[in-house]
Amino acid sequence: MMLKPENRDFVSARIVDPVLGLDAIRTIVVRNGVVTALLDRAPSAADPHTERVDCAGMVLCPGFIDPHVHVREPGETHKETLKTALAAAAAGGFTAVAAMPNTRPAIDDAAKVARLIGDAAVLRGVRCYPIGSVTKAREGEALAALRSMAAAGAVAFSDDGNVTKSLKTLYHAAKLIADLPQPMLSHCEDVSFADALMHEGEVSDLLGVPGSPALAEAAIAARDLLVAQATGKAWHICHVSTRMTLDVLRWARGAGVRVTAEVTPHHLQCTHELLLGFNAAMRVNPPLRSAADVDALRRAVLDGTITIFASDHAPHAASEKEPPLSHACVGFSGLETAVAATFDALPDAPLKTMVGNFSSNVAALLNVRGGTLAVGAPADITGLYLDRPWTVEPANFRSLGKVTPFAGRTFKVRPALTVVGGAIVYRHTDETRASANESRPAARATPELAAKERRT
Amino acid sequence: MTSPAHFLDLDDVQRPALEALIVRAHAFKKGVPDAAVRLRGRTILGMFFEPSTRTANSFALAAQQLGAHWLAFDTGGSSMSKGETLEDTVRTIAALGADAIVVRHPESGFPHALARYFSGAVINAGDGWHAHPTQGVLDAMTLVEELGSLEGRRFVIAGDIRHSRVARSSARALWLLGARVTLCGPPLLLTLSAPGWGFADLATDLDACLPTADALMLLRIQKERGDASELPPFEDIATGYGLTPARLAKLPPHAVILHPGPVNRGLEIADELVTHPRSRIERQVANGVYARMAVLERSLRGLERPLAGRAR
Repeated sequence: MMLKPENRDFVSARIVDPVLGLDAIRTIVVRNGVVTALLDRAPSAADPHTERVDCAGMVLCPGFIDPHVHVREPGETHKETLKTALAAAAAGGFTAVAAMPNTRPAIDDAAKVARLIGDAAVLRGVRCYPIGSVTKAREGEALAALRSMAAAGAVAFSDDGNVTKSLKTLYHAAKLIADLPQPMLSHCEDVSFADALMHEGEVSDLLGVPGSPALAEAAIAARDLLVAQATGKAWHICHVSTRMTLDVLRWARGAGVRVTAEVTPHHLQCTHELLLGFNAAMRVNPPLRSAADVDALRRAVLDGTITIFASDHAPHAASEKEPPLSHACVGFSGLETAVAATFDALPDAPLKTMVGNFSSNVAALLNVRGGTLAVGAPADITGLYLDRPWTVEPANFRSLGKVTPFAGRTFKVRPALTVVGGAIVYRHTDETRASANESRPAARATPELAAKERRT
Repeated sequence: MTSPAHFLDLDDVQRPALEALIVRAHAFKKGVPDAAVRLRGRTILGMFFEPSTRTANSFALAAQQLGAHWLAFDTGGSSMSKGETLEDTVRTIAALGADAIVVRHPESGFPHALARYFSGAVINAGDGWHAHPTQGVLDAMTLVEELGSLEGRRFVIAGDIRHSRVARSSARALWLLGARVTLCGPPLLLTLSAPGWGFADLATDLDACLPTADALMLLRIQKERGDASELPPFEDIATGYGLTPARLAKLPPHAVILHPGPVNRGLEIADELVTHPRSRIERQVANGVYARMAVLERSLRGLERPLAGRAR
């Protein structure tokens, strides 16, 4: 096939674009990787240089961007590689991910930022935006080279996985980059509860396991948002998991702090009861909380307190998720279930809210292109089936991480098509492994394949 | 996945099963003619990752009285401390021919992790703050001996409830047998929500609990455990929740005193009360052996097929 992959017409789809305020059947015309027109009708004339992609039955959205992904490379490639992470992202419906800096070594200088951008570019699939660490080696004390990393392409700063221990350091970090657009991203967990293995509540009571209370998250959120208030810096609270943190967010908004917050599918779906029987695989940070917290988080999406969805994709090898609790690594493989599980948790949310929380709101947070299908935007497109039930089978994940709280769950929403710069990096109809009764497909569209296509 | 031969906690134990264990323990106490050969040829491995004299000896004695070999696993110099995975350690143990592991570990849930890998029986001799199920059986046995039916009886446990595996298991055992359980301690050391663990009343004033109690258990103040940001100084617990002669006088005349041991004399119980006529502390120790005989027998004879953990 000698088609130029950047030239495609995506026809007959329902287009939902919260930035354009559009929810209608349109054809997206893509030339050289850029949206050049949104047409009421499919173009009638067959153009030999343009591939016509039939999207009937799909909803096409601005490409979904996951602001919270652990790619594990460099340093922990037994858990995940950049290649498998980005392949998982494509299959999960994401056209871009932001990579957290807790690799080994941590992404804490401009050279490491540049290398990650280069490594991702070679794969020519899903876009990868580095997040730089706030402190050297993410140790919470000495400032990292934030301005150099910003110049090299870091989209945000975070010591994710750790709290920036020193208030003084965090305050000075925010002031150092007060003039730059890159936001600060806070992982909120007071270090004095570092021995906790789960949420402090009825389940930790029963199991006799040290727990971390909601307070341990909310107190750090409050501290960090006070730094935001004091410095005027744009701030983002990662993976909010408790009602108390929502109260802190509402206070900060009311006080005029520039703040956004994200929530994960597992915190919208799962409670600490999953750890009964010492189920070490269900350890995650922040921990799974109470049913009341889950309810509050769902309502916070509906009322706009939370405007961003994130997978917190944190893959580990199977042996690293085994009991006892203290030995098990924290986190789930999330990219390939995030969209479906999040939609499942929020059946009453307007579609434009769901799409905005996955796309335009994330693009605005990270100041990256995308987030809309407006003419002139990069042709980063996420296609969804809204009602195509499927069952989560971790063995089929492209991610090397197979541990998820959603194994065996059936969800209605299914990522159908992932397009990056006009190139198809994932198409659901190309799936073979998921189900035997689906039609036999052509070759799998992965970032590698897409890259090969472009090179030919 | 989890073999019914394991004895990990009392969370899923039903009342008839507990009653059967107590009946059997009493039988061993009175004398079972073939007791000495019940577990002949079986090997039981004791893995104690925490110092324990009382429980380890009690299990060893129970094993020997049933005719089993008791093998003490040296946890200090074990290959686990050299970085061997739990799974590999358990494979080695199985290859040695052990039929059962009796395990004590500072982490809650450790025996449950062992049970995933060991095809023989895992018997919990105390895990973290979580469970000490044979203590629950022996305490229930001791009170049944004392009071007959426990239906409607009031049982008070005082001290550091939150960090006590004894409290979790004994409270559950007595509640399973129909007793009303009250957990008494400072708010920091109680459960987070009431009822405690789904069934127990909570109280902070021990003196108010005493007049209606049929039995009172004092918990050992864990001097070796916890950190100062989480545990109050000992005198805080001793003053509010230790047994003194004045408090003893507030108990009904028939009420008895329990303590899981080892006792900190003068802290959770006044020196002169340890051997008071109302104390059943020594009875608990004696009954412990019989209760553990019943548990070991259940785990090792209750199986219909040969234990897969044997190498031959």
